[in-house]
Amino acid sequence: MASFTLKSFTGLRQSSTEQTNFISNVPSSLSLPQRRTSLRVTASRASPNLANRKLRVAVIGGGPAGGAAAETLAQGGIETILIERKMDNCKPCGGAIPLCMVGEFNLPLDIIDRRVTKMKMISPSNIAVDIGRTLKEHEYIGMVRREVLDQYLRERAEKSGATVINGLFLKMDLPENWDTPYVLHYTEYDGKTGATGQKKTMEVDAVIGADGANSRVAKSIGAGDYDYAIAFQERIRIPDDKMTYYEDLAEMYVGDDVSPDFYGWVFPKCDHVAVGTGTVTHKGDIKKFQLATRNRAKDKILGGKIIRVEAHPIPEHPRPRRLSKRVALVGDAAGYVTKCSGEGIYFAAKSGRMCAEAIVEGSQNGKKMIDESDLRKYLEKWDKTYLPTYRVLDVLQKVFYRSNPAREAFVEMCGDEYVQKMTFDSYLYKRVAPGSPLEDLKLAVNTIGSVFRANALRREIEKLNV
Amino acid sequence: MSLSMALFSPPISSPLQNSNLTSKISLSLLSTKRFSLVSLTQASSSDNGTSATVSATTVEIPKPASPAKEEVPVKSPTESSSDETDLTTTTTTEIKFQDAKWVNGTWDLKQFEKEGKTDWDSVIVSEAKRRKWLEDNPETTTNDEPVLFDTSIIPWWAWMKRYHLPEAELLNGRAAMIGFFMSYFVDSLTGVGLVDQMGNFFCKTLLFVAVAGVLFIRKNEDLDKLKGLFEETTLYDKQWQATWKEPESSSSTVSSQK
Repeated sequence: MASFTLKSFTGLRQSSTEQTNFISNVPSSLSLPQRRTSLRVTASRASPNLANRKLRVAVIGGGPAGGAAAETLAQGGIETILIERKMDNCKPCGGAIPLCMVGEFNLPLDIIDRRVTKMKMISPSNIAVDIGRTLKEHEYIGMVRREVLDQYLRERAEKSGATVINGLFLKMDLPENWDTPYVLHYTEYDGKTGATGQKKTMEVDAVIGADGANSRVAKSIGAGDYDYAIAFQERIRIPDDKMTYYEDLAEMYVGDDVSPDFYGWVFPKCDHVAVGTGTVTHKGDIKKFQLATRNRAKDKILGGKIIRVEAHPIPEHPRPRRLSKRVALVGDAAGYVTKCSGEGIYFAAKSGRMCAEAIVEGSQNGKKMIDESDLRKYLEKWDKTYLPTYRVLDVLQKVFYRSNPAREAFVEMCGDEYVQKMTFDSYLYKRVAPGSPLEDLKLAVNTIGSVFRANALRREIEKLNV
Repeated sequence: MSLSMALFSPPISSPLQNSNLTSKISLSLLSTKRFSLVSLTQASSSDNGTSATVSATTVEIPKPASPAKEEVPVKSPTESSSDETDLTTTTTTEIKFQDAKWVNGTWDLKQFEKEGKTDWDSVIVSEAKRRKWLEDNPETTTNDEPVLFDTSIIPWWAWMKRYHLPEAELLNGRAAMIGFFMSYFVDSLTGVGLVDQMGNFFCKTLLFVAVAGVLFIRKNEDLDKLKGLFEETTLYDKQWQATWKEPESSSSTVSSQK
């Protein structure tokens, strides 16, 4: 009976008074792998138009995810409020963005400080392999300063019509009904009230949580916890002659001394290098790992001065719940960081955009109230598009970051041209490109060979220990 | 999460204070290792695979070497003062992996010749020693002496002979023993001879299980390892699917309101 009423009033109603009678529980035709058939979600077509106003959505967090979400929302005709606690936040971050991000988000080229076109992978026994021979002229990995990128995306959102507020989100009151608003409690900072700011509240229809790894929005909706890695980084200004080596080259160090389950890196930034490492399982030893990383790069950063020390958590996998009613998480708050490479900026921005697109579509450009099913569409689309990428990187991490022999094999494999081509293709364009089957077979044989040799050497080492 | 927030909100101040202490400790640890290595290189000029835990009894131990970096003036001022007195201020005199046969970042195969042919076994052993050394004493990489050695120059049959064949012999021996006694046992119980056993489906299954068992469970620890591996392969997927397994209570409140 409910389905008949659906078609009649979609887009016709102007007032909201008689709506409640027609809201029906229509099991939506979502193609979810549902175990229980009773997961019932209302279809948004049944939602009424909002009376005399546009949909109000708050985006908490003004990083890449928040900025991209706010821009897409504002462009879609939705009343958007972006709340960011620190406008000049110099986020500790690797700062690498893939080529496709520049195109997809129309980033101006002056945001990119450096174009990395060469990488060096260094194994535990210091075997160094150069990567990047297969890159074409126009391909590069962009190194950006987070404060520059974040500010740019926020400004673009503001130009599209979003309101940007400098404030700290404290908590939010969840609504009881499908149409009552969320009440956000936040502290607004403006020049007049000084450092402590002013407590305020705001009512919005939906919330996008883009507030990073320690997301308060996630806590408010009980999204659950995730395992996270600690990334520790020191920014070191090195002499100019040493800097020319890192002109367009980034290094990755693997080894038990550098990290038991991640890698150490030297990334060039605008006028200094960032030397860092990370770990999930041995967080207490992070300083030791950092020293080891510095030791491995010692010759190349000789004479440098540390100008900044920073650390940040990196999520290892998505939170158990990435959305709840009309609140969705995006970016680091949702846990969209890949394994193996720890890449998060692009996925944060893309998920912010995807979520905002789902809201714009579900609300028909701000005219209707949305509900959970619209946000679930964003999750569906995200999982469908990127889950293969995440899975592949997870497998790579499990296989190749296990132990020193595995890492030696990894570095050996990276010397292969086919591997380099596939890796860069999938990294720069975020597509799992199908290679040629013959090459894949050769690659499989070579991988097994490398792993076998490295493990054989490990057995030899153990024999020497005895 | 709040704990991590507390840890990470003042990133600059606390790590620096802690690192003062830890860097001093770690650097002195690194330097004591170096001195055990000085004695090692002096004692074993030939390839006799002594472990790196030989203690430094024979060498006079001067003050700990400081890494010749000026980037740590903030962290450990004591090191800059020891610059003048110790003997390893420059990187060239630091203890690095040295071997007569290791030339230009790779093994010089000509030095491994025995009776006119390269003795691959000793190449493998030398590389293992080099890796062990580096595991115990990680070195810096330098652009002047890049490490170029690629294990694939050692031909596949050398690896097979040294590693695969002995293990294959072991496993085949196990399988043969199990096979013989199982077939004897089944024969004594059921009277079915070996040839007839091979025609029976149940016996074929048993054979398959026995072969798989011998292949995968080679040490006692392998049982637990296999279980852990299986859990590991499915964990990531489970974490991603978690958001789709919503409990009923949350969605039922979305519907039905009048």
